[in-house]
Amino acid sequence: MAFRVSIGQYCSADSAIHRLDPRVKLVVAALFMVSCFFVRDAVTLALAAAAALAAAAASRVPAAGVLSQVKPVLPFLVITSIFNLFFVRTGEVALALGPIAIHMGGIAAAALYTLRFALLLIGGGLLMLTTTPTALCDAFEVVFKPLERLGVPVTQVALILSIGLRFVPTLAKEADNVIAAQTARGADFEGKGALAYARACVPLIVPLFASALRHAENLGRAMDARCYTGGTGRTHYRAMRFIPARDLPFCLIFAGYAAALAACLILL
Amino acid sequence: MAGARIHIEDTRFSYGRHEALRGVTLDIAPGEHVCVLGGNGSGKSTLLQLMNALLLPDAGTVRVDGADTATADGALLARRRAAMVFQHPEDQMVTSIVADDVAFGPENLGVEPQEIARRVGAALAAVSMTDAAHRDPADLSGGQKQRIAIAGALAMEPRALLLDEPCAMLDAAGRREIQRIIARLNAQGITIVHVTHFMDDALAADRVVVMDHGQVALEGSPAEVFGHHRLIEGLGLELPFCMRLASALRARGIDAPFATEDRELVRWASSQGAVIAAAPATEPPAGTAAARADAGVSFENVSFSYAARGGSHGNAAVEGLDLAVAAGTLTALVGRTGSGKSTTAELACALKVPTKGSVRVAGIDTTDRRRRRALRRQVGYVSQLPERQLFAATVLEDVMFGPLNLGATQQEASGRAREALTMVGLDPVDELLNRSPFALSGGQQRSVALAGILAMRQPILVLDEPMAGLDPAGRAHMRRILAKLKRAGTTLLLITHSMDDAAELADRIAVLDEGRLVAEGTPREVFEASAPRTPGLPAPLAFARALTAEGSPAPLAGLPLTLDALADAIAAALKGGGA
Repeated sequence: MAFRVSIGQYCSADSAIHRLDPRVKLVVAALFMVSCFFVRDAVTLALAAAAALAAAAASRVPAAGVLSQVKPVLPFLVITSIFNLFFVRTGEVALALGPIAIHMGGIAAAALYTLRFALLLIGGGLLMLTTTPTALCDAFEVVFKPLERLGVPVTQVALILSIGLRFVPTLAKEADNVIAAQTARGADFEGKGALAYARACVPLIVPLFASALRHAENLGRAMDARCYTGGTGRTHYRAMRFIPARDLPFCLIFAGYAAALAACLILL
Repeated sequence: MAGARIHIEDTRFSYGRHEALRGVTLDIAPGEHVCVLGGNGSGKSTLLQLMNALLLPDAGTVRVDGADTATADGALLARRRAAMVFQHPEDQMVTSIVADDVAFGPENLGVEPQEIARRVGAALAAVSMTDAAHRDPADLSGGQKQRIAIAGALAMEPRALLLDEPCAMLDAAGRREIQRIIARLNAQGITIVHVTHFMDDALAADRVVVMDHGQVALEGSPAEVFGHHRLIEGLGLELPFCMRLASALRARGIDAPFATEDRELVRWASSQGAVIAAAPATEPPAGTAAARADAGVSFENVSFSYAARGGSHGNAAVEGLDLAVAAGTLTALVGRTGSGKSTTAELACALKVPTKGSVRVAGIDTTDRRRRRALRRQVGYVSQLPERQLFAATVLEDVMFGPLNLGATQQEASGRAREALTMVGLDPVDELLNRSPFALSGGQQRSVALAGILAMRQPILVLDEPMAGLDPAGRAHMRRILAKLKRAGTTLLLITHSMDDAAELADRIAVLDEGRLVAEGTPREVFEASAPRTPGLPAPLAFARALTAEGSPAPLAGLPLTLDALADAIAAALKGGGA
């Protein structure tokens, strides 16, 4: 039994997508994710898929890395598609087995909802895979700065997010170690029933919780020692600059995608 | 560059009711290299954190270059002037690119981007990690990560470097590299305050401060401090190797000087006419071990790769491993970081199953899921930093967890728990049994975690660096427990970074390099190879070679491997020469 989490892991490579202004990437990724909700048929799905695949190809992130962004929510996707499959009762009956009937509409809905959600995840995942936690944090801070006037502690939220991401692999490795250690002590994680399983998990959860707290404390101390005092007076090693030659083509390509999607929605 | 002056005047500090510092006064001169020693809980870490304004004294003052850390401006200045490096490098990294992480400090100080770039370059060059600038720290070894952490401190252009056990989790090679960096920075004028559990670190310092129960117990040059060898040992520390040797020689009636360097003692011994004759091998007859080989752990052409399982989390693969651990023997598994030792340990415990080949534990194939429970009764696993697996509300419950899982009754498990706690040197009185394991000291937690495994009474034990992070007293304690287990007939597979421990404890040594077995044999066979594949040599052997090399080319074979054997050989040579 191994515990693998790969959400939000930065994947180091030198690609056009990696080099983009992180603010541009953040905004475009957010808009793309919103656009996925407007996908409603084969044409728009193909359009969104083409956009996501093009970005993935340009990012030079290995396919396994991109797919791993979808993996953790796979069970959820499977369940919703099953619901769609059985409960959408529009279109012709494709398959009937006694009282259970699967309609064409159900098949279409199952495929559409699953795929567009997967595309949404890939869009968000590509942002994480190609942007370092600090760059993401800085971009987040700039983009959401206006919310600060409403009392939202944007700087702190951004830092918390970025550090959370940075510790995902560390905690995943520790989970692996704890599982190994407790398994060797004869712990049985193939418990029968929810309660037995929950009880079996105590020897995992407690050490993991303790270790998360220990990391938090150590990191807090290390950040203090490195003079972190919050947003004010902080400079940035990697200045975020909008370089037209680099960032504008990307924006235009995305604008083209958005326009095509809008055209499809209006015309079809 | 001028170093910082750090002045500590009669400071006290308490964590709740626990008094960590009880009136410490210390003046560290600009450019001085000070090592702070002391057992676990002696207050040395607390002292260091005071110098960085991470903690403020309850009483007394701490000044860094004249600035009082108790004031807001003073605290900020202290952190600029005296930068800190901690024990666990992974907890000091804030981002996923080396260069960006090094830039974090200067960014916080509001340094201009161009200047940050210059500093990042200089800091990485100072720790010889320029090539890693664009890598992810998670992919680096512990030693490399620690060098990045030092670079992160240097990028703030401090005048003092405060190091809190930076080498506790590193292997010998990583530790030597950090030692070199410290020496180089100190030569450039930076003040160094280094808290350490390793006595050879202290020999490099200008001044050694020994802490005990929140007070300065001893202070002076390394020679002065280690001259109090009884007191040092009484404080739970150990002497550096050359002094332990001198002490052992004195116990044998030889008036050896307490030198602070191996070289000095080698020269002395040589001038006295000590010639170490290559001793005839005194190995135990090999027959007994081989006869029971079937009952231990055996690896047959074992390969394991993480690639097939998506991501490695930094663990190394193994390839084509053939290894047998005979019943009742202790095999030390050594090799550099990333050589596949931990993976091998997990394979031996059926926590991983080989992608190719077979692993058998007491005759049971680890891929045989139906016999997994039977296998768990055969082999116990003490993971790295085993105290991190503690979870129960009380010590007793935690130690009983394993035996209960194996089907012991409450009464049996409780009895075994008490017995195991006694075995690891803890008194199983109700006061201890009912305490939360999280309320214990680090050393005690390690012992309780170990007891949790011993209570399962498995005849085979796999231990992954059980000494890592312990102070000298803790390491000595662990060595005694291992010796006891060995005498009781337990089959042991021990992963260790210490060649001294391997030479002293092991019947056989297996050396891994990049996932392959590159040497295997008795300690003598492995260390006496013309080009040993081990990461380093045991200190006594290195000493013996240096001594014989004084007169003539050193023989490779027959030299003493352990401190006692070396002391015996020198004593015999000197007494023989005198007669």
